[in-house]
Amino acid sequence: MIHVRDLSKTYTVHEKAPGLMGSVRSLFARKTVARHAVQGVSLHVAEGEILGLVGANGAGKTTLVKMLAGIIHPTSGEATVLGHIPWQRENDFRRQIALVMGQKAQLWWDLPAADGFLLLREIYRIPEARYRENLAYLAETLDVTRHLHVQVRRLSLGERMKMELIAALLHDPKIVFLDEPTIGLDLTAQRAIREFILSYRETRKPAIILTSHYMEDIERLCKRIVIIDEGAFLYDGPLDQVASRHTSQKVITAHLERPASLPPAVLAGLGTLVKQEEYLLQVRVLRARVAEAAATILRELPVADLAIDEEDIGTVIERIFRERRVGPS
Amino acid sequence: MSPGLFLHVATMEARRRMSYRVDFWINAIAGFGAEFALVWFLWKAMFAMSGTEAIGGYTFDQMLVYYVVVILVAKVVRGVEFEGQASEDIYQGGLNRYLVLPGSYFGFKYAQSIGSLLPALVQAVLFGGLWLVLSGRTGFEGVTPATVAMAIPAIVLANLLHYLFVWTLHVIAFWADNVWSLLVAWRHAAALLGGAMIPLTLFPTGMQSTLEWLPFRALFALPVETLLGRVTFEAWVDGMLVGCAWLVVAALLARAVWRRGCLQYSGIGI
Repeated sequence: MIHVRDLSKTYTVHEKAPGLMGSVRSLFARKTVARHAVQGVSLHVAEGEILGLVGANGAGKTTLVKMLAGIIHPTSGEATVLGHIPWQRENDFRRQIALVMGQKAQLWWDLPAADGFLLLREIYRIPEARYRENLAYLAETLDVTRHLHVQVRRLSLGERMKMELIAALLHDPKIVFLDEPTIGLDLTAQRAIREFILSYRETRKPAIILTSHYMEDIERLCKRIVIIDEGAFLYDGPLDQVASRHTSQKVITAHLERPASLPPAVLAGLGTLVKQEEYLLQVRVLRARVAEAAATILRELPVADLAIDEEDIGTVIERIFRERRVGPS
Repeated sequence: MSPGLFLHVATMEARRRMSYRVDFWINAIAGFGAEFALVWFLWKAMFAMSGTEAIGGYTFDQMLVYYVVVILVAKVVRGVEFEGQASEDIYQGGLNRYLVLPGSYFGFKYAQSIGSLLPALVQAVLFGGLWLVLSGRTGFEGVTPATVAMAIPAIVLANLLHYLFVWTLHVIAFWADNVWSLLVAWRHAAALLGGAMIPLTLFPTGMQSTLEWLPFRALFALPVETLLGRVTFEAWVDGMLVGCAWLVVAALLARAVWRRGCLQYSGIGI
């Protein structure tokens, strides 16, 4: 469905020295610098797949999404989405995609959402019966039927985002770009949006490209992720293999029957202490030494329960970024 | 863009514009009243100082009627020049949502612009009718069904031509971010050279001949002079042909600037 090869985007940005003199000087001469937002990335996304794009602010996630949705032109490289070159913006291509931007309203602010949906029906030429069926399904699933006739600007952030999702999905797109769909929402609304995306994907099977800063979004929704930093891919593969490929450590958590602690020398020999409380000990140990460390803990402490887990994915990803910048710790 | 969609967008925008009642009346009274008061005092003084019956072929009453009509026609020709236009979408990244929708962004914006004319049309009928009643038709003697029939296509041409030029200026926001000063410069130049500020007969003869070949006359002077019966049929045809030629030039220019600009677009705000 989506094929990308060596795609790059470089922005030319103007720089201005601070202060009044800088402003005056910039009237006559401006310094420009090239900012490489995306650098030679390649990617394939299959039908029905949910791909998570993970990266810090300015990593290049949104630029990549904008190129794939046809909003901006790349500096170099190739991409086809549903057999179309996105930035040529053929109508047949645009009828099959949808873009939801968590930070930018798509619907018409002064109008009730229902009016905006009617306009979208005209724009996408959705047959009347299909429009009614889709609207009823989406509004009921997202529990916003009673808000359809309220001006968009009078809705809460969560309700507005639900309306944005309806607007994006009314025409049954084959590819959905979700750019931070849960940003700024409370936990209940975040959960509702996540549940909806999962159920929608089950029933309609579109390919979804999701960017989010919330690891819970990524963990709940994506089986495959791309980690992107400074415009380049650091990882492209299954979510559940991020930890095993990028960390040589596991986390042992021991719940204790009574307050106890390990002698400092023993603890230092196990690995890195993550957390120590009266009834709890958590240490990060090398994979190769997990069995030995677990045996030591079981021998030295009154253990009620013991668990050996991969590191939290958010922590692993954070460490990947940190190590890229300052080197391994 | 299909006619159905065009109509849908235009009527939606018209409803939106008409829902702001306070804005409608302030715009109507301040926009028309203040401009007309200025003209009235200015020309009263000019006629008194010159001591002549007519200036540039207009008596005082005819001059007032010229301004009443040109103020109202200019509202219809200009529409909404600044708010909600392409430069705002480019600058704020609002263009993103339109670029992913099937159909023409220009068509969408032009339909919105046509919809936003409804308040201007209501004001034109309201103030034009009021002036007719109060003035006892003085100065309107040249208006006939034939001049009205000729003025309507001239106003349609003027609106489209004006929109295309203003659109091109808005699209320069791809490079310049802020095009406010360009739009203000255009507004003044078009008003002065197009006959919205002063009748074109006040310009020197050589200048008048030059202006006949430029696009500005088709914006204001041609529809107003046509409506008031001050233009012969042959001169109207010539004026319309010049306007149509400029329409083609403006359309090609708008298309070229838009295409180049899209290559620059970074979609900031997404």
